[in-house]
Amino acid sequence: MFVQVLFFAAMKDHFSSQERLELTEESNVRGLRDFLLERKPEASSLLQVSRFAVNQVVVGDEFILQEGAIVAVLPPSSGG
Amino acid sequence: MSVLETFAHITFESILLPSKLPDIPEMGGYVFFSGIVRNVNEGKKVTHLEYEAYVPMANDTIRKILLDAKEKWDLLHADCIHRLGKLNISEIAVIVETGSMHRAEAYAANRYIIDRVKHEVPIWKREFYLDGSSEWSQGCSHETQH
Repeated sequence: MFVQVLFFAAMKDHFSSQERLELTEESNVRGLRDFLLERKPEASSLLQVSRFAVNQVVVGDEFILQEGAIVAVLPPSSGG
Repeated sequence: MSVLETFAHITFESILLPSKLPDIPEMGGYVFFSGIVRNVNEGKKVTHLEYEAYVPMANDTIRKILLDAKEKWDLLHADCIHRLGKLNISEIAVIVETGSMHRAEAYAANRYIIDRVKHEVPIWKREFYLDGSSEWSQGCSHETQH
């Protein structure tokens, strides 16, 4: 299945701002993080502290991704 | 009508100081906070900043924080606007306004809102330094003391 993944801030040093990724069926957020870690080990420290949002809602590692989901990888916020 | 979606709590324009108070006759206290771009961070000379956001989610997160503040305190007014894009030194990056019958609620709610905005809203700051280098800010783990 395919999901859209959005990357922001320092994450864009490692990934494009928007990528369409093919994951195995029933992949959860942990699976996506592992997939990204494997592709870019140099992004691992940032990936470990990033939150994941699906359709703009922050979700946990066990969240099951659906075909077509829009997943945002959110490094720690630094607004203000 | 513009085809660009507009967001109540996110702007790419300069944020100006309000010239008048919200028109609320019951309001007896009004607190205004502004977060400003300063010229130094962790000992390094900063020339300017760039903010980016996951805009729809940032807007919605701020909206929810304001609703939470209104549930916790008797507020007559609460608003927050964050600017994105390139900001120069001494420009306003974010404002929080709170108003209530008495000052205590307005002060407490204002602090609550800005603290949550800094930690939870998907907005990121890139600092540009005098030596030409730049860096994404590493979150706000020690911002509460600053």
